Amino acid sequence: MTVFDAIVVGAGPAGSSAALTMAKAGLKVALLERGSFPGEKNMFGGVLHRLTALEDVLPNFWDIAPLERHIVKKTLTFMTEGSSFSVNFDNQAANQPPYNGYTIFRPTFDRWLADQAVQAGATLLSSSTVDEVLREGGRIVGVRLLRDNAELRAPIVIAADGVLSFVARKAGLRQGRFNPDHQGVCIKALIDMPKDVIDDRFGLTRREGASNEIVGNTGGVRGGTFLYTNYNSLSLGMVLELGSLMKTDWTPYHLLNNLMEQPQIAKLLRGGRLLEYSAHLVPKGGYQMQPELFSDGIMVTGDAAALCIVTGLNLEGINLAAQSGVIAGKTAIVAHQQRDFSKGCLSNYKKQLEDSFVLKDLKLYRRTPDMLHNDRIYQQYPELVCGMMDEIYRIDGRPKAKMSQMILRQVKEKIGLKNMLADVYGGWRSL
Amino acid sequence: MKINLDEIFDYTSFNIDRDPHIILEENVCQQCDQRACVNCCPAACYTWDEDNKKMTFVHDGCLECGTCYVVCKNEAFSRWRYPRGGFGVAFRMT
Ligand SMILES: Cc1cc2nc3c(=O)[nH]c(=O)nc-3n(C[C@H](O)[C@H](O)[C@H](O)COP(=O)(O)OP(=O)(O)OC[C@H]3O[C@@H](n4cnc5c(N)ncnc54)[C@H](O)[C@@H]3O)c2cc1C
Ligand code: SF4
Ligand code: SF4
Repeated sequence: MTVFDAIVVGAGPAGSSAALTMAKAGLKVALLERGSFPGEKNMFGGVLHRLTALEDVLPNFWDIAPLERHIVKKTLTFMTEGSSFSVNFDNQAANQPPYNGYTIFRPTFDRWLADQAVQAGATLLSSSTVDEVLREGGRIVGVRLLRDNAELRAPIVIAADGVLSFVARKAGLRQGRFNPDHQGVCIKALIDMPKDVIDDRFGLTRREGASNEIVGNTGGVRGGTFLYTNYNSLSLGMVLELGSLMKTDWTPYHLLNNLMEQPQIAKLLRGGRLLEYSAHLVPKGGYQMQPELFSDGIMVTGDAAALCIVTGLNLEGINLAAQSGVIAGKTAIVAHQQRDFSKGCLSNYKKQLEDSFVLKDLKLYRRTPDMLHNDRIYQQYPELVCGMMDEIYRIDGRPKAKMSQMILRQVKEKIGLKNMLADVYGGWRSL
Repeated sequence: MKINLDEIFDYTSFNIDRDPHIILEENVCQQCDQRACVNCCPAACYTWDEDNKKMTFVHDGCLECGTCYVVCKNEAFSRWRYPRGGFGVAFRMT
């Protein structure tokens, strides 16, 4: 049996950030990953937001990391079956380092990040699925692998095993079933397209990228669509709340297929070819579904701790995962200095998370899941916005209604005045 | 362009383990009044045969997303874990 200073379960952004932090400080770290390489099991939208957590250790991050494009153009679209209304934010400030966000591929990026931890001295064990945690006198002292029932021991285990986190559950830090309202299933089609075609269609040059979030046209299911530009491919996907999807007969891929036929989307995808199809869950409940973050000998990071913010305008996860991984790593370093691996010492992990943007932002957006629980957002509001635009621009030989009357009529027809007032109040509170 | 799950093995790679990582107790499904797994699974691994009242589950094209684990309120799984290291779905790009 091998003894380490710390065991990290999962070589995603949270786990590799924790391993990198601890290895740099000289700790003997095991980084365990169930995939045959880090990133093999991982997918996301996705836009990697600026990783302030790693800028100390990787100061020239944007020169060395495998990135696709940096995002300069952000679009929010309200969409119905035949029409769409978009708000566009094109920002030159985002066109120079430190860039605000990048499109990336997880199998490439996660492998690269884990490699940074390995270069700092961490031991990466791929093809290693953790099946059980080892306990001694109530404290967590290691893990057991599915392969040959091999056991690894360390005074600290960091659970960075993603959204379902069987490690947190087995350590007793998460109890009961997941609430389907707190989980979104995401499916994604990666679409092959030449770089110059993407540049022309989205108005980009060089390594500039665009991101587009789309509300509506999800069959009334609570959720949304994203369309992101990679270097020479597009990522088109949907996030669908499970609590809402399970009450319908829709399948995720039927909804995505319908969307691909929506005329405005179809034009953007024309000539593209499907390269890969993938799926993953996202812990969209955020603050409301948080497990216990630490106990004797264990800390929980990233998606495993539901450190994810889903607002509909943006999806933040990797930046929170990396930051929580770094903080867990630093806490482990202090614990080793003090030779104290108890709950009391590891409670510093939560304190530091509370002082950082991680738990501050998560708390700030804690009511957003309730606001997004409103079914009207996903059908009636996109129809309202597109309906109003249609009346404003339509020339059909009939006299136009006064704008204020037209808006009032549309609101009454599509939403109802009372609902609208309640939604505005709820939306305002959640922001 | 269309996602056709009959062709999933053409565009997503798998290293299928003969020892399944999910074992479904299909008799539990016969009593189920929801069958959310059938429409929610993004890989169409669950098929309900209404005529014969029979559930079929195939783990081959499973994307290991966890959706069925979350939506099944009857805990119909005698095993739900990730595949052994190196087995299961393998994303190449994404
Ligand atoms: C469709 C979609 C879109 C998203 N878009 C964005 C976005 O645009 N921007 C953003 O910042 N975030 C986005 N996110 C969220 C982001 O992907 C996650 O928050 C982030 O990946 C969490 O990192 P993590 O390291 O905590 O977990 P993960 O990335 O899930 O990594 C967990 C790792 O643990 C491994 N593992 C799991 N169990 C075991 C085990 N038992 N033994 C060994 N290894 C194990 C897994 O293989 C994996 O490598 C999106 C998510 C989805 C699903
Ligand atoms: S929801 Fe559970 S019990 Fe019901 S059919 Fe699906 S797997 Fe079976
Ligand atoms: S884990 Fe996901 S892909 Fe696999 S069977 Fe369950 S729902 Fe389907």
